[in-house]
Amino acid sequence: MTKHQRHLWAGLGLSALLALSAPAKADELVAALKGAEVGVATYDMLKAINSNVASTLIYDTLIEQDANHGYVPALAESWEEAPDGLQWTFHLKQGVKFHNGVDFNAKEVADWLAMFKGTDFEYYLGAVKEIVVVDEHTIRLDMTRPDPNLLYNLSTPFGGIMEPGARKADGDNYGLTAAVGTGPYKLESFAVGQETVLVRNDDYTWGAKTAANTGPANIERIRLREIGEASTSFLELTTGGVDMLFGVPQEFLSEATKQPNIKLMTMPDQEIYYLVMNVTAAPFDDIRVRQAAALAVNQQAIKDNLFGGAGNIPSTFMIASLPEEKVADQFRIKFDLDRAKALLDEAGWMSGADGVRAKDGQPLKITLWTQSDSNFRRVTEVIQAQLKDAGFAADLLTFDSASIRDQYKAGTHQAAVRSYFYDNATILDWFFGGDRPGYPNISMFNDPKAEELRNVAMTGSKTSEEFTKNFIAYHEYILSQFPFAPIYEPVGNIAFNGDRVIMPETINSPVFQRAAIMDLKLAN
Amino acid sequence: MFGFIIKRSLLLIPVFFAASIVVFLLIHLVPGDPVDSLLTVGSPPEQRQIITERYGLDKPLIVQYGIWIGDILRGDLGTAIIMRRPVADLMAEALPYSIALGASAFLFYTIVGVTLGVTASLFQDRWPDRTIMTGVLFGSTLPSFWLGLLLMLIFSVWLRWLPVSGARDVSSLVLPVLTIGLGGTALVARITRVAMVETQRKDFVMLLHAKGMHPLHIQLVRVLRHALIPVVTILALRIGFVLGGAITVEIVFARPGIGTLLVRGIMQHDYPVVQACLLMLSMAVILGTFLGDVLQALMDPRARVSLS
Repeated sequence: MTKHQRHLWAGLGLSALLALSAPAKADELVAALKGAEVGVATYDMLKAINSNVASTLIYDTLIEQDANHGYVPALAESWEEAPDGLQWTFHLKQGVKFHNGVDFNAKEVADWLAMFKGTDFEYYLGAVKEIVVVDEHTIRLDMTRPDPNLLYNLSTPFGGIMEPGARKADGDNYGLTAAVGTGPYKLESFAVGQETVLVRNDDYTWGAKTAANTGPANIERIRLREIGEASTSFLELTTGGVDMLFGVPQEFLSEATKQPNIKLMTMPDQEIYYLVMNVTAAPFDDIRVRQAAALAVNQQAIKDNLFGGAGNIPSTFMIASLPEEKVADQFRIKFDLDRAKALLDEAGWMSGADGVRAKDGQPLKITLWTQSDSNFRRVTEVIQAQLKDAGFAADLLTFDSASIRDQYKAGTHQAAVRSYFYDNATILDWFFGGDRPGYPNISMFNDPKAEELRNVAMTGSKTSEEFTKNFIAYHEYILSQFPFAPIYEPVGNIAFNGDRVIMPETINSPVFQRAAIMDLKLAN
Repeated sequence: MFGFIIKRSLLLIPVFFAASIVVFLLIHLVPGDPVDSLLTVGSPPEQRQIITERYGLDKPLIVQYGIWIGDILRGDLGTAIIMRRPVADLMAEALPYSIALGASAFLFYTIVGVTLGVTASLFQDRWPDRTIMTGVLFGSTLPSFWLGLLLMLIFSVWLRWLPVSGARDVSSLVLPVLTIGLGGTALVARITRVAMVETQRKDFVMLLHAKGMHPLHIQLVRVLRHALIPVVTILALRIGFVLGGAITVEIVFARPGIGTLLVRGIMQHDYPVVQACLLMLSMAVILGTFLGDVLQALMDPRARVSLS
């Protein structure tokens, strides 16, 4: 019988089961993943293009981030960077084992790092010249150039350390039927698109100190369900089908507060909504017009009226918790309608009787692109109205998220409302790098001084401090050119059954992942 | 009859190739490509070209089609670009859920639809007939997305009789089957009623009444047998929808299936997944039509002549 036939029969058998649905066990947490994390295809972190919370529970990383995006020891109990940035030495924790009993040591790390070659994540180690096993618990990376962002790359879920022998032995099945790490949970089963079931690693005692509990975890079993439709996941929470929702859409927050046993918690998120302008297309080829549009965005009104007052008001291109966000005050973009109108006057766009400005007989008319998602539509409609207050006449054009990227590549757009989800300063390089016009560089921004600052930030920084300083300089310059306007920085909403789940008092991680779950408890 | 089947079977070959060309062009001509989904923040600019060449996306479309159809004919559905797994494995995992849901819904609306249609015809132009036809008309106009959420609210939230979502056991099939089934019931009921009423007017029915045969026997055996011919044809045409017609229901009820797989593939521009799913669904509809023709020929010798 072929593998496909086995799958078919197994699936038919599963769907013919007569057993009734088993209720959640007392020692089992059932949670619904947030929309952005639905659809993970594999737990092979060198093949996956996205990750979910399970990845951070199966695999530990060498380093973790705390709530302030600082780096704390995880599987690497300490590390040193050479003053010239050309060497990194990691001292590994002792007494750590992979889920299959293999000892965690420098050789395993070296073999794991070697697996990056030839994958889409090879660039994570793009600056690494040589991996040297110094001794059983010390590994050294010799670099071709300094890479202060190495720590960030190693702290992401894609830096989760897989047991090399298991990955090799399981071949294409690795990440589906088995996933071997050193994390606080082991993979019991993974039904792609449906659910991931994790069981506690009872030997786990080496957790990072981002959690109060360094191991073993309190909860014996975790079932992570993938429910793409927000209404359905919300109904599952209210009926007790799940104990937690990792992401609650804005439109359900008021309903959630009406349920007596449902509690809400907010955490910082990693998303920024922004208005991007094509600097090569009229009227936004004039920096005064771009600045006017940027200053016409009333972020406070959007936060209060569309998002119930929750979230933050951004004034730069990054989330507030990043050190590279700390630019000088004069570069921050804040609502100022009077200044916006003055700039348009200065640029020759005079007010008309209908409120729309005009210049040389041409109205200040733009097309504002957006995606078909309801949040984007609402935000874009408000931006349209706010731009109108300044004298712009904006028409909306909606695209589905799958095809809009191709539209950007044509370069015919004028402005668009977008969001991104990222927690590192290199997002500037991604969205404003001159060698990526159209997409992802939707602003088509290609400025010689910006490119110079970009190169220094990306490859000329020897230490983390230099990295931050250089990226602040790059960030400030981009802000001064107004290719975008920040709109809104959401918070993450987590809803849980207060009768079942005991949430930790503090969570010392940027998002709700390993550290939070280690401290999570179930009521008896 | 055998010759008829052979002749119709041979016609499937050019239809298959025509469907494959349409399917291939459909996804490739839609704006967007999978490379954008594979690039991550920090990917160097040359990564786009590396990925494009790795998946053969830089080749002319006709070459890409040739490679793909050659693999299909060898039984290789390819490897999903975004989901990174053999497409055959992805479909083999999704298919049982689609078959379970589709077959159950098919059975539901066949049994219920035929029953309602026969009942309506027996009470033609009286209140049972009007009630049934109004009810099925109303049922057929409800959007499945809305109907699914409504049934979920009633049976899962208020009454707590059934699970909200998922695909763990038989109880989680009930609401999705009802959601699809109510819409299909309307079509089957209407066709059955029309066919029954038309057959009742035929001379042989009058003759059977004149011979003193029991009226119920006439309706439920003799008339129904003839009336089922168009019903069977319509049902055969709907076989293709058994697999692919449940996309919104799968999403609302968080069920895996071919529909969900196809939607994910389209959103991510995962060409091998979309091509394989669409080709399979097209062939299901084509084979359903073929089956409908064969069944019609078997049930009605006159049809053999006209179809030939």
